[in-house]
Amino acid sequence: MTSNTAANMIDPSIFEYLQAHGAEEIEVGERLHQLTSALNRHISTCQGLLSRIHSTPSQKLSPLLQQVEETGIKPEIVAIGELARFTSNYPYYKYNHRFTRSVQNVVSTMLLTAWLGGLGTESRPGELGRLLTIEEVGEILQVPVNLKDRDAFHVTIEEYLLALTDVMEELSRLAMNSVTMGDVGLTVRISAFVKDLFAGFQLLNLRNDIVRKRIDGVKYHVKKVEDVIYDLSLRNLLPKAEGE
Amino acid sequence: MSEVIVPKGRGGAMAGVKRDHQGREKPETKSTNQDKPRNAYTSMFESFRDELDESQARRMKVGTVSRDVTALSKKIIFSLQRVRTLGQPIPERIQAEVDQRLREIAKLLATIELDLSGMNRYRYSPICLEELVEALSFAHYLRHQALITPAQTQDAMPTTGIPLTAADYVFGIFDLTGEMMRFATAVTALAGAVPTGEASQGEAADDRTIVNDMQEVSSMFQICPPVGGKPTNYSKKMDVMIEQVLKVERLGYGVTVRGTERPKGWMPDLKEPLRDGDAE
Repeated sequence: MTSNTAANMIDPSIFEYLQAHGAEEIEVGERLHQLTSALNRHISTCQGLLSRIHSTPSQKLSPLLQQVEETGIKPEIVAIGELARFTSNYPYYKYNHRFTRSVQNVVSTMLLTAWLGGLGTESRPGELGRLLTIEEVGEILQVPVNLKDRDAFHVTIEEYLLALTDVMEELSRLAMNSVTMGDVGLTVRISAFVKDLFAGFQLLNLRNDIVRKRIDGVKYHVKKVEDVIYDLSLRNLLPKAEGE
Repeated sequence: MSEVIVPKGRGGAMAGVKRDHQGREKPETKSTNQDKPRNAYTSMFESFRDELDESQARRMKVGTVSRDVTALSKKIIFSLQRVRTLGQPIPERIQAEVDQRLREIAKLLATIELDLSGMNRYRYSPICLEELVEALSFAHYLRHQALITPAQTQDAMPTTGIPLTAADYVFGIFDLTGEMMRFATAVTALAGAVPTGEASQGEAADDRTIVNDMQEVSSMFQICPPVGGKPTNYSKKMDVMIEQVLKVERLGYGVTVRGTERPKGWMPDLKEPLRDGDAE
């Protein structure tokens, strides 16, 4: 009777397969660690500079935003470019969880800067209250967005939405501080913006995941702004033209 | 009670937020939705909603199919656990059952091939593939007394459209050792000897038993770096595997020490309760 039994339990090719895949994952993991920690340093700088908006009166905002763009966002864009070039060599969703939080943070610093009037271009000068679309974010970062037809680095809709919730939190803080700094007009702008976005979020059918959790938190940001507006209206401090 | 609830529902409807849980008012709700003030961002969010809905629908579909394929794979494994020989073709009736289930799996997987194409392979990675690898590798082991290679696994897949990932393979093999342990225990209990390749039985001392095979597999995983991108999951599975190897080693030891007390080829009389075998 001829034997069906192989000579060995383990074919050498299995060893090679495991070694090769394991080595690749370790290598990619280490490189990703380098890339994301470099990116995270730029994000921290950027967020730190942006935190000054809470103590900077509106008329002095524009030099601050310029500084944010130069020393915060520009390095972020470079670091994102490196990350994009590296990760596009590998299946996007295999490693995406390693850097998605950083991408969100980059997008949120950009959205906040642009909303406050920064990140203007020649064709479209910066102005207060401008929300960058996900496409505009992609143009500035020079990466694709919401990619479907090929497997490469891109900014996802989820990342954009999560970044938006961060921006709303930041603006709800600014709504209060801008009253303290005497710019009630800005608070009114923030209130309208935050409410519009909140209405937008309510259009989404969310499943039970991080996006839902964070968007569930948005109502508290809205409430914070409303409370400020309420305080102002109670004391007749709202500007007449915009208050109506 | 219901009288209390109904006015409440109407009260909510009058506030103009949610009416659609009352069937009759649905058309009204639609028109109010259209009349709802749209703001600068409404259309942006509407397009996001469509995208998210599409992705969610796909995730649900893959999940449903995955559950069914998992159940079928488990059934294949149950069938294969009735095999009593190692290194031999699988008995016809069991093979027929396995083939039937593989055909069903092929049909199911064909429905999600497109949903898993390209980038989405890692995005919606269905858990059932690990289970399927477990079934395929177990069948391969029973037939050939060898660990299936990644390439052979891909070839054995009932569908060609879904590429297996390293994680599918590795975690499937982790589960395989559990099935090998169960198989070893059952066969040892019935035959009084640790399963060994049939053709080589009775030959020299270098016969490979299932104990040797499991030791080799676990050594290999210990030597190689972790694969599959889930390090905590990986080390947990590794611990389980080592535990299983130890159990089978104890089984082999028990048979070596006590097994010689019964004549070679002795089979328990199946009409009697298998007290002796069960104890082991």
